[in-house]
Amino acid sequence: MAKITKDTMIGEEFSGKPKRITWERLWTFSGGPFAASGWPKKNLHTDPEFAKSLGLPTVGASATQYLGHLAELMIDLFGEGWLKGGKTSNIKFIKLVPEGDVLTTKAKVISKDEEGSAVKFTLDVWCENKNGEKVMIGNATGVVK
Amino acid sequence: MSEKKSAHLMEVGEEFEPLEFVVTPELNQQYLYAEEDFHPRYIEESESGPPLVHPGLLLNMSNNTRSPSFYLPPGWGEIHAAEETEYLNPARVGKKFRVTWKVVETYQKRGKPWHVLDILIVDEDGVEIMRRKMTNTFASPELTS
Repeated sequence: MAKITKDTMIGEEFSGKPKRITWERLWTFSGGPFAASGWPKKNLHTDPEFAKSLGLPTVGASATQYLGHLAELMIDLFGEGWLKGGKTSNIKFIKLVPEGDVLTTKAKVISKDEEGSAVKFTLDVWCENKNGEKVMIGNATGVVK
Repeated sequence: MSEKKSAHLMEVGEEFEPLEFVVTPELNQQYLYAEEDFHPRYIEESESGPPLVHPGLLLNMSNNTRSPSFYLPPGWGEIHAAEETEYLNPARVGKKFRVTWKVVETYQKRGKPWHVLDILIVDEDGVEIMRRKMTNTFASPELTS
């Protein structure tokens, strides 16, 4: 059941569940399909030596891994209908997410606008690491009919 | 034999080779594990049809590194820096999907090349599933920071 309703107020905050970025989840997300030969594929998300060869301190989780966390939170807030018309915008990835980090996706309602009988919500969205630092910032929109 | 063009040298208007892939239950469940999201909507059929494809799978499979023509020289990597995503329609397990990528903007910033890509995922019935605008830069010891 969607958590955001027409009565949700500007300023209300929501949080997804914390998720640990383990090696297993890094490899599973960014190593390619299990069925592909040579799994997991070596890249800057899965292999420390590959990452260091590019000048990075260590591997970094694919940004799409925590964009997926953001999508999960939006579906939790708006329901499955968010997959037909939901948007994320102005998303910026501002900090490396290394193996072992714990990410929590959060959202805060910053505006609500009537669109006929529906209400369009705009949210600030971000993802925090285990130190409370933002690794991703941006906005999302969803409609409550 | 023609040489592959490095992604960082792609110019406005150029396209990566499209990718087609089928989302099996097993591939979807790979991403459910990676995303730590085991909601039944991604596993069980409903009145609306087969299970939903997890958004994390669609986001990851539509990174341009998934294109059959994606190439970077050894010692180079692509860094995802910013993102806009429109969720147009839900995707269903069992369908074949086609991803297209087009370079729509290129520029230099802080001594590094930057690219903006328009990305579209369409299912086998021609239903538009997701549209992305992905901003990437590139990492290499050859580049100044």
